Amino acid sequence: MLKRRASRDVLTRQTFPGKPDKVAYLYLAPLFLVYSLFLLLPLLRLVWFALYDWNGLSSAKWVGLANFRDLFVEESQREPFLHAGILIFFFSVIPVTVGLVLAAIVSRSPLRALGFFRTVLFMPQVVAMVVVAAAWRSLYAPAGTINEFLRAVGLDTLTRPWLGDYNFALPAIGIIGTWVGTGLTFILFLGGIAKIPRELYEAARIDGAGPIREFFSVTLPSLRYELSVVLTLTVIAALRTFDVIYVTTRGGPGTSTVVPSFQVYRDAFQLGHVGAAAALAIGLTTLIFVLSFVITQIAERGRET
Amino acid sequence: MRPQVRWTAVVAVVAGAMLLSTACTPGGGQPTGSAKETGQATVTDPAQMGNLTLTVWDGQTQGAEDGVMNALNAAFEKKYPNITINRVSRSFEDLRTALRLAVTDKTGPDVVQPNKGRPDMGAFVQAGLLRPLDKYAAAYGWDKRFPASILNWSRWSSDAKDWGKGSLYGVPQLDEVVGIYYNKATLDALGLEPPQTWEEFEAQLVKIKDAGKIPIQFGNVEQWPAIHEYGLIQSRYEPAETIRELGFGNKGADYQSDGNLKAATTLQDWATSGFFAPGYNGQTYDDSSRLYGQGNGVFFIGGTWLLTDFVKALGDNVGFMLPPPNQAGQPIVAPGGPDLCFSVTANSKNPDAAAAYIDFITNDDAMSQLATAGVLPINNLGSAAPSSGAGAQVRDALKAITDAGGMVPYLDYGTPTMYDTITVALQDLLAKRVTPEDFTARLQNDYANFTFTGVG
Amino acid sequence: MISQRQRIASYTILVLFAIVALYPIINIVVLSLTAPEGGGYVLSNYTAAWEIGRFSTYLRMSLLVSSFVVVCSLVLSSLAGYAFGCMRFRGVTALFYLCLIGIMVPMEAVALPLYFDLRSVGLTDTFWSVSLPQVAQISAFGTFWMRAYFLSSPPALREAARIDGANHWQILWRILIPVARPNLIALAVLGFMWSWNEFFIPLVMVTSESLRTAPLGLAFFQGKYTTAVGPLAAGAVIVALPVVVVYLALQRHFIRGIIEGAIKG
Repeated sequence: MLKRRASRDVLTRQTFPGKPDKVAYLYLAPLFLVYSLFLLLPLLRLVWFALYDWNGLSSAKWVGLANFRDLFVEESQREPFLHAGILIFFFSVIPVTVGLVLAAIVSRSPLRALGFFRTVLFMPQVVAMVVVAAAWRSLYAPAGTINEFLRAVGLDTLTRPWLGDYNFALPAIGIIGTWVGTGLTFILFLGGIAKIPRELYEAARIDGAGPIREFFSVTLPSLRYELSVVLTLTVIAALRTFDVIYVTTRGGPGTSTVVPSFQVYRDAFQLGHVGAAAALAIGLTTLIFVLSFVITQIAERGRET
Repeated sequence: MRPQVRWTAVVAVVAGAMLLSTACTPGGGQPTGSAKETGQATVTDPAQMGNLTLTVWDGQTQGAEDGVMNALNAAFEKKYPNITINRVSRSFEDLRTALRLAVTDKTGPDVVQPNKGRPDMGAFVQAGLLRPLDKYAAAYGWDKRFPASILNWSRWSSDAKDWGKGSLYGVPQLDEVVGIYYNKATLDALGLEPPQTWEEFEAQLVKIKDAGKIPIQFGNVEQWPAIHEYGLIQSRYEPAETIRELGFGNKGADYQSDGNLKAATTLQDWATSGFFAPGYNGQTYDDSSRLYGQGNGVFFIGGTWLLTDFVKALGDNVGFMLPPPNQAGQPIVAPGGPDLCFSVTANSKNPDAAAAYIDFITNDDAMSQLATAGVLPINNLGSAAPSSGAGAQVRDALKAITDAGGMVPYLDYGTPTMYDTITVALQDLLAKRVTPEDFTARLQNDYANFTFTGVG
Repeated sequence: MISQRQRIASYTILVLFAIVALYPIINIVVLSLTAPEGGGYVLSNYTAAWEIGRFSTYLRMSLLVSSFVVVCSLVLSSLAGYAFGCMRFRGVTALFYLCLIGIMVPMEAVALPLYFDLRSVGLTDTFWSVSLPQVAQISAFGTFWMRAYFLSSPPALREAARIDGANHWQILWRILIPVARPNLIALAVLGFMWSWNEFFIPLVMVTSESLRTAPLGLAFFQGKYTTAVGPLAAGAVIVALPVVVVYLALQRHFIRGIIEGAIKG
């Protein structure tokens, strides 16, 4: 990212050489006014809240870094991150892999009605998560479609109350994420592959490469940028999951589907532990930053080789 | 080089200023509810209160309760056209969570139904968010309308450390007790009679299961229904006094007693033996009661609020009983008490109107309407109540247990965090992810922590 | 050399994919049209949801909030994007990174302290408490979006305008913006979608029924009427429909905008 930005700054300097334009601040002001008041300032306050033990109703007590320590020590604060990790697998890894492979396969032949399919496959991204959750909740119901399907094919023993099962509730939610994310990855990879110059494939074929070699030596390296974008988007989506949990399991059964953002809500608004919620929110935000940074770095480094 | 340094310095100063300017203690300087008593005489005639809107949040969404609430609201508006009622009714779950946010709102609802117990009502009282209603109780004669034992459920000291004495913060409308509904037709078909003793009941569960039917219809995905199952069983093995201490969050009891442990073990055994409906873990309360109404399941452990729905679905086929005694001469005990009370928020701009409304929906006339509809009011239970069938059984059961003073509180009331602790622990217990010993230890941990330190 | 088998395989994949993508949605639509007692197809579920579920109120609110958020975000993003893309000023790096934060920060982290602070000045439960946080986050994204667009516009265009005596304001609004229509539309559609579907902010900020947005209406409706599958499904369709309609109407702009935006961003 650094290299590109530098070249763009060179661009602006070329367009308007000379002294800096003070009027720019006027253009930036409206954005930064709203942005500071409603995003930056709350983030600073978040740190402040995390230093207290407060039930949100009465007066607060200073506890310093205790809430942050609890992030590592308390089971109830650690567990959500473990669950988030599992969701990352379902929301991000699977969609990226499936989308990539399928896009590679489909791209090999020119097809018609691609626009139609693109529209349809992107649909899950457009529907509100609350509606998605409601739709899937009825599929997962004890008498719902999934169990009925299993019974119809004679797999009765596999039927279970999916969202009420300690072991399967979280994966069941994960599958919802896979469903939402795969269309996006597929479309973005399709677009990326379409940009790969034909000559690269020709060259590989002349060298005697089969489809699989082509994939690894031509397709994959050229998709580095798309890969990092898609990974970032889906990982962040996984970590920000809230709506689905609220509408389907509320963190249950037990605490098996509690994820960080839901635990923040629970801590702050149900248990009366605002400080713990704030520390958790900070932990979540930090994790998102770190993962985004790592993904981008890996993509960058790949590009330089 | 130099311009760079100056820039970062500017940023640092700005950031520091922002941080400092926001450095006020959360909650400090927070205006807590301003429920000051004015010296003026209390206005009790709504006709004289001018035009206003009362926002009422209630959780009475079940069957006939919903209908009567609407009828009462309409009657109130008709009698006092200057007042408009804005009713917002929510499911129990949603009401709980939404109320926590709403009760601090300066433009929030006027009349609310907080969940009794330390997590909700206690926390609100402590933060001064509910208005003490003593002067209205005197003006409207509520202390004569309700027995003291009922009103005590809504009495709190202003720091919410004491529950059961202090100022009055809520007025009840409905009464409830948790018992066992049974399906007469299925029992007959299996050659069984409604059980007279606990032993008989447990034996029947086995027989029903062996006959291939569902012994107890149940749905626990919302996590709180299991509190009723455990509470019912617990009342067989643990003395009422101890349960009261645990439920009210008073010192002196122990969750790890033999009685509580036996109750936990029994509950887990029932789950393992398959006495509950299959897939109960993923089933909603509403679905389970609907299925029961369709004849799916012999018993249903639930409260008297389900009466109208079950009678509508099963007619004469449904019966109700309090949990049968464990040994001869065991006193009548079951979880129950006044249903959610109506309170007035401290932030309400129309406390007088709110109080008048509460008086209206809890007076004799309202109580009679409720009884006629088959719902269970605190007073006037006898008026217009059906003379036979499950309705009569429920009425008799309520009368019996109230006379015996045998109602014990739900356990989630006991500490500010107990609701979350016990719901999660019960799901774990039912799923055999935790032993009965560990289960009781977890509850004891929460309870001891609170009663020892006074903080949740 | 394209083998027929390959084409069939590709089409099969696409069709299977499409079925999987559409099935849950179609299922809900069918449920919403099914009569309660299972006797054929009706529209009564929709009237039930509309009246009892109060979805008319919620839709109105969602429309107000989302429109406001989109319009504000377009303006703020255009202004700031122009500054980042076409102007030279000190601190561009720092401010740029500051914007980046807004895109990655989860709403829960922001909503938590914002709720308590707004509450202490009595500003919760207002239209502004719901819409302004969304404007902040969507504008941060929009700034990047417009910046990328402005950077890619030919400098010669701007130079020519400058020579003709145009100032920044005129260059932005008379020359650049009119040509940026596809990007603006894509941004508007994205912003509308995000704002309409936003759940956490209205959940926490809003107490009065009249300020609740559609997704919340659905969640609470579900809590109250867990057995009324028909009206619940109808409510779900009502909530999802506006965004789907906008998406279908503008999908070409929309998808193209996303692909290009994702590449450039």
